[in-house]
Amino acid sequence: MYRYDTFDQQFVDERVAHFRSQTERYLAGELSDDEFLQLRLRNGLYIQRLAPMLRVAVPYGTLSSRQLRMLAHIARHYDRGYGHLSTRQNMQFNWPELAEVPDILADLATVQMHAIQTSGNCIRNVTADEFSGVAADEAVDPRPYCELIRQWSTSHPEFDWLPRKFKIAISGAEDDRAAVNVHDIGLLVRRRSGETVFDVLAGGGLGRTPVIGSLIREALPVRHLLTYLEAMMRVYNRYGRRDNKYKARIKILVRAMTAEGFKARVDEEWSHLKGSPSTLTDEQVAGMEAHFRPPAYVERPGAAAALAADRLKDADFARWVRHNVSPHKQAGYAIATLSTKETGTPPGDVSDRQMEAVADWAEAYGFGEIRISHQQNFVLPDVGQDQLYALWQAAQGERLAAPNRGLATDIICCPGGDYCSLANAKSIPVAEAIQAQLEDYDYLHDLGELDINISGCMNACGHHHVGHIGILGVDKKGREYYQVSIGGHAGNDASVGQIIGPSFFRDDVPRVIRRIFDVYLAERVENESFLHCVRRIGVEPFKVEVYAKAA
Amino acid sequence: MPKLLRLNDDANGATNGATNGTPPQLEPAGQWTAESGMGVELSVDQEIEERFLAAPQIGIEFPAFNDGRGLSQAVLLRSRHGYQGDLVATGAVQPDILHYMRRCGFTAAVLPGGDVPDPQTLAPYSDYYQACAIEPEPGRFRIERGPSNIPT
Repeated sequence: MYRYDTFDQQFVDERVAHFRSQTERYLAGELSDDEFLQLRLRNGLYIQRLAPMLRVAVPYGTLSSRQLRMLAHIARHYDRGYGHLSTRQNMQFNWPELAEVPDILADLATVQMHAIQTSGNCIRNVTADEFSGVAADEAVDPRPYCELIRQWSTSHPEFDWLPRKFKIAISGAEDDRAAVNVHDIGLLVRRRSGETVFDVLAGGGLGRTPVIGSLIREALPVRHLLTYLEAMMRVYNRYGRRDNKYKARIKILVRAMTAEGFKARVDEEWSHLKGSPSTLTDEQVAGMEAHFRPPAYVERPGAAAALAADRLKDADFARWVRHNVSPHKQAGYAIATLSTKETGTPPGDVSDRQMEAVADWAEAYGFGEIRISHQQNFVLPDVGQDQLYALWQAAQGERLAAPNRGLATDIICCPGGDYCSLANAKSIPVAEAIQAQLEDYDYLHDLGELDINISGCMNACGHHHVGHIGILGVDKKGREYYQVSIGGHAGNDASVGQIIGPSFFRDDVPRVIRRIFDVYLAERVENESFLHCVRRIGVEPFKVEVYAKAA
Repeated sequence: MPKLLRLNDDANGATNGATNGTPPQLEPAGQWTAESGMGVELSVDQEIEERFLAAPQIGIEFPAFNDGRGLSQAVLLRSRHGYQGDLVATGAVQPDILHYMRRCGFTAAVLPGGDVPDPQTLAPYSDYYQACAIEPEPGRFRIERGPSNIPT
């Protein structure tokens, strides 16, 4: 993984000092609430329903064991002993004291971490496939380009005061696990005729107006990556709407200009920037790629046979392997997903103890590296196949062994009304009620791949639009209601879900979801997933069943 | 009393952070003519016209301190149009934005309140990753960077 050099370290150290002085100026009354708001947001600090919330950047979801131990320390020392894995691969702390935040940032800087640009109207943490660098289906490892973009976008002189927040995601695998279609800019990195190139999507996004991004440039050579981004950002910074925050994302601009119009404008801008000193040289690209060379894998003779024997011996282990273990590039190794979605635990919440356990396992069963997925789970990227059984046994003891990756209980869920001041409704109790009725593994397994995504408001942090089943909390005259949509999808053939009808009380949601399952189980043809079934038969049969009996 | 704050080190010995005289007289772009010999003031949605380059000063009026459009205009004036005169930030100038303004090519700012910011607020960082209007070589590749001695 990327290691800071002297300049990176100096920059984060200076950033801590800078934010400390801004916090002191605020506490001394020299900065207004509104001024400090903008400055603290660019350092990840929100003021939430109950307390401040600090969002720590986990660049493209990659952490070292040492870094995760520091997050455990922060959870214990400055918070209430836990943190929350966000849908943008970051970690959030819900209970820090405002005056202590500069100290937290100083602690983070000692392990090459920060909270820079994790909120505010600026370029946010770049997200990527959580299996980057290790997935068997990967063509190009996106991490070097994520890091180039991270550095380029950090405190950019021109693009730190945008009309609205700005999210970039990169995927280099066959299966898009980074949801590039629903980002402000989505990048698909490919190798074509020996050259690293990017297909560039723009104007995707969730929130109030869900939009699938438009392809605006194909096969952009890597050397032009930063100058092309500069052209796109300049067009957005100058022409994006600033009069209405709900119409300020780039998707609205792309729609207003049309994708062709936007592309023409960007190309015109780029014609002046192409070849400028920000163009990357082969050496610069190679230098960054060198930071992400594969770790020292060893031959693991007999590893596959050992795994096969372990699976035969223990059916529960076999079940976990089936769902939570993914194929690795390297023979003898596997990728293990440690699910945070045990029923009764808010999705994505992890304790200091769990963080330390995961940090230890990453060292015992890997090279000291951990990933966070946008599904709010931990991933250990380099586990020997013969080590999976020991890992699974240890994970059970820490409630991180739920065999449900990609299943209906692996719910993506924002913090919702329990924590977030923006939320219209609670989301965590809804997730728990749905999980509680899926305790029967055979039934859960029979439902197969099924993404349930829950957001407590239109900001869509829980990505409800792209859930196979999406649930959105809405407020009607002070009461919490839930709107249900089906048929959304975040991967390669991304789609926005369709709302099935009028919204429900919270207590009704589990029953509604159960009826949706019933329709699927009755209507599906052999091996048809829930998503494909909805795409084939449409929303109507679900609607009829849900509303006929609910009345 | 509004003050004019220098953001560059100019030939007359003024340095970043010095207050230097009174704010220039600027005409709004709609009324301004090159013949007037005055500076021109642009709103942040104004497209840049070649005729503005004749002005001895160009002001860019920030409607709100967190509106970044004026930063792009400044970059375009310097990098694309080669404007050499004084570039002055006016309107809602907030001290914490000055270091961005400076890198985008502003040479001065009119401080509405007149309080001069402390040196750390004016220049919080020793260097930056990216290229900018006053430093066309990106820092990432310009700066000598050694391995950090801090373990991960």
